[in-house]
Amino acid sequence: MSTQGAGQAAAILAGLGGVGNIDEIEPCTTRLRSLVKEPSRVDAAALRAAGAFGVMVSGRVVQVVIGPSVDTLASDLEDLM
Amino acid sequence: MHAKQSPAAPARGAHKYQAVRAYLVGLVERELHVGDAIPSERALCVRFGVSRMTVRQAVDALVGEGVLVREQGRGTFVAPRRMDFEMRLTTFGEEMRRRGMRPETRVLGMGTVPASAEAADALGTEPGAPLHHLRRVRYADGSPMSIEQHWVAVDLVPGLLAAGPPPSMHDALRAVGLDPSWGEETLTAAEATDEEAALLDLRGTRAVLRATRRTFSAQAPAMYSNACYRGDRYSVWVPLSAPAPALVPRLRERDDERVEQREAVGAALEDGRTG
Repeated sequence: MSTQGAGQAAAILAGLGGVGNIDEIEPCTTRLRSLVKEPSRVDAAALRAAGAFGVMVSGRVVQVVIGPSVDTLASDLEDLM
Repeated sequence: MHAKQSPAAPARGAHKYQAVRAYLVGLVERELHVGDAIPSERALCVRFGVSRMTVRQAVDALVGEGVLVREQGRGTFVAPRRMDFEMRLTTFGEEMRRRGMRPETRVLGMGTVPASAEAADALGTEPGAPLHHLRRVRYADGSPMSIEQHWVAVDLVPGLLAAGPPPSMHDALRAVGLDPSWGEETLTAAEATDEEAALLDLRGTRAVLRATRRTFSAQAPAMYSNACYRGDRYSVWVPLSAPAPALVPRLRERDDERVEQREAVGAALEDGRTG
């Protein structure tokens, strides 16, 4: 994994409230879809700073718009989870 | 007495309706053109040895599916085809040419507007920031198909509208090194407003499909678009695949193992007490 990829993955995990706040993450073409334990621990501003073009929270489902790089980002995330 | 069998005719009885339907579908796909009349009810009754009611059922089914259209007092004809557009980052012009149709445009308005909250959010800029705005009707072979609006930040492409309305927004972005590379679109079923119905020359149904799109170049949003497509001429093809297994924190898996171990120990203890 590249250092840049690792940096973004770490920043996104932090923005989602940390690994401990995550039930699961799934790459979906242009977005990361995740199920979190505690939506209030999600930091949308931090996610945008990490490169997200949009953050949608609906109950415990959090969608982060990243772009087509989500698939490589997913393998970076997996290494950190 | 047997009806003359067409190559596609299946078994008789309850399947005669299917035979008539399949035959008509074959005609529409291989022999007839949009606007051509289908064979008369009488000719179909004779050909398949079925009642008028059976023929009408088959025709009704195809009218319901949008393959045929009945015109009061004139007969039944091949309906204009729905175009199914799959979710690809292509433009109206590209899609029409691909289908061998002639795309045309009528510009309704063009200028600079302050970004609405929605447009600002989509383009990653501030509400009120100046945006280029273009509104136009798109035609295919002379018929209105959709109404489109596009917004591009003036900061991003200062001269976008300097030479008048660009024939292609994607080409205009490419010309300044902002090749569209990906996007997201949301589709919503809706009813056309009076103005939209007039622009699209809608008769009967007012159903439209609204499409809101963010187009990205390299790593930034480049264009925000709002389109209104005729409901009777458009459908969307969406490929589906089973989702890959989601990523689950490894820590969680270890916790689950510990929980399972505790439960197993608890069960064993309980057996011991009751055994």
